[in-house]
Amino acid sequence: MISTSRLSATDLAQVMVLENQTFSEHAWSEDSMAAELDSPNTHYLGLWKSQRLIGYAGAASAPGSFSADIQTIAIASDERGHGYGRRLMQELLIWSKSVGAEQVMLEVRADNPAAIKLYRSLGFEQIDLRKRYYQPGDIDALVMRLEIQQPVVLGIESTCDETGVGIVKGNRLLANALHSSMDEHAKYGGVVPEVAARAHLEAIQPTLRKALAEANLTIDQVDAIAVANGPGLAGAVMVGIGAAKGIAIANDKPIYAVNHLVAHVGADVLERGAVQLPTIALLVSGGHTSLLLVRDLLNDVVLLGETIDDAAGEAFDKVARVLGLPYPGGPQIDKAAINGNPNAIRFPRGLTLPKDMEKHRYDFSFSGLKTAVARHVEKHQDANEEFSVADVAASFREAVVDVLLTKALAAAEEFQVPRLVLGGGVVANARLREEAKRRCDKAGVELRIPRFALCTDNGAMIAALGAQLIMAGREPSGMSFGADSTLEVTQVQSF
Amino acid sequence: MLLAIDTSAGSSAAVFVDDELLSFVSIEDPFGHAENIGNVIAQALGEAKVSHTKISAIAIGRGPAPYTGLRVGMATGLAMAETLKVPTFGVVALDAVSMLYANQKEFVVVSDAKRRQLFARSYRSVGPEVIPTPTSAPEVFEPAEISERFPGLEVFQTPCSAKEVGHYAFAAMREGIDLSDTGALYLRSPDVSPSAGKRVTG
Repeated sequence: MISTSRLSATDLAQVMVLENQTFSEHAWSEDSMAAELDSPNTHYLGLWKSQRLIGYAGAASAPGSFSADIQTIAIASDERGHGYGRRLMQELLIWSKSVGAEQVMLEVRADNPAAIKLYRSLGFEQIDLRKRYYQPGDIDALVMRLEIQQPVVLGIESTCDETGVGIVKGNRLLANALHSSMDEHAKYGGVVPEVAARAHLEAIQPTLRKALAEANLTIDQVDAIAVANGPGLAGAVMVGIGAAKGIAIANDKPIYAVNHLVAHVGADVLERGAVQLPTIALLVSGGHTSLLLVRDLLNDVVLLGETIDDAAGEAFDKVARVLGLPYPGGPQIDKAAINGNPNAIRFPRGLTLPKDMEKHRYDFSFSGLKTAVARHVEKHQDANEEFSVADVAASFREAVVDVLLTKALAAAEEFQVPRLVLGGGVVANARLREEAKRRCDKAGVELRIPRFALCTDNGAMIAALGAQLIMAGREPSGMSFGADSTLEVTQVQSF
Repeated sequence: MLLAIDTSAGSSAAVFVDDELLSFVSIEDPFGHAENIGNVIAQALGEAKVSHTKISAIAIGRGPAPYTGLRVGMATGLAMAETLKVPTFGVVALDAVSMLYANQKEFVVVSDAKRRQLFARSYRSVGPEVIPTPTSAPEVFEPAEISERFPGLEVFQTPCSAKEVGHYAFAAMREGIDLSDTGALYLRSPDVSPSAGKRVTG
């Protein structure tokens, strides 16, 4: 019975036995091998015959490099000639594709024709010759490369007030076209669903055109369509679904219905080639305030908590209005808070009292905070007292930022996850970014914030999640899915 | 080959070649537009035994109709046309249905506007197979207002579908009627008014 499994440092002893037998004086040291097995950027596979390790192979890909390297491959001398090397290589190529590699490189001894033959049969081509690379013995190294075609995916986002069409190739961003109807919502002080849906219908053709032009592609060069089918405003989402299905049928492309919130987390693949996992994700926008534990982007996303009333971005909008500032409130509050004292007024931190923490440990509430700010302002206005708008803005903002980050870092600690990725439009808030950096540094948590255009709602993140599904070998969604305004984060793909 | 799409009532698609209806697929579910639209189009193309690459024009019903569903079919048609680089014809649903009554002299076509109201437009017939001439603008009415506004006229309420949209598009091409407006025909403004903000204390 032959089986393969992913190796870790616990397999080091068995690996070293085979390593020393196979490579003798060229064998890697135990320390180097341990580091290889442990690295987050490598993938080592063991080949087992019952309990005996009879082969192993490893590949590495630095996030964001779009390239993978075959690091080593070894088959026990008495087990060669059974196609085991091919089996390990094929699995490493699947892994290389799944992490976004567009090419796989390897070096092989020129005096090893069996290996060279194997690599050629897998599609590798020699691109270079390194003279006398292997010493002693003056053996040349062939440098070989396999090109991998990553899927080109066009993604459509229409869950709120942004019409987004993005195009990616694997983990590579090719286009991110956006049309926002934010200005049309300004006079209402918040996003109006019907206004948003109307704007999507008007924007869909020009945004589509812009994305294809930006990527310098025709629709024929696109391999698949992805669309966010929720969570979001149902009437708005449906416009995107209609458009996506139209493109899919008109051009005979498979279609993937993906989760908008999971796509926010996945946006980081466009920055760094892969989402380092596990990670805590804090998604904060005008429509969402969600804290997620992500162990696997496609298979294991858990909602730890979310707002039980207003989204954080909504609170910024409402408080801006209380202060007589225009919509959207986030940048206005940021501006007003300059020179304000964040500790001037101790506004409440929602759901942080011990009694709330039992039931709502990772949930958020901002409606009480908004009311507290309004009371404070009305009290002074009624008494004709001067008050500092800067202090109110800074203190309000501090309360939001404090509760968001306290809960996010508490989750990082409880689940022993030393990473935090931020997403959503509220990430534009300068104080949130600054304080997140400070607190993460202090807690030893790695902080990731994708560039702003990938933090706010956008089509590229939808395309990227679609590409991740394809790279993982998932089937398309078919034609019968609909909009789900309350889609759960556990459902990454809908059918 | 013309593909007609309409989601003003149910979801439907029809395939025509030179005004001849090759296939018509309709799902009458008044809510499942997003779920159904892809299937009805794919099925209509399949039944007509024509490849998607042969589509040379797309006609879309632009309402008036309940907007959430209406927009699904419009978005589908617009996105198809954009990527296929083919022209789009925008067809007013009431006008499309008026073709069914071209043998009447003067009449009114109404359709469900939700909230117990009706969309309505009046027409005068010119002759069989010719597009009736509209004699009023499309408007929203209370049901009782129809007979006051259009005294003595017979009222027809037939839901629109891709079949009527496609037939109308061919007739309009023959008669030189402009169908270049492919925006939704909204007869109500978004149901919202700017709020001044409420006090939280007494």
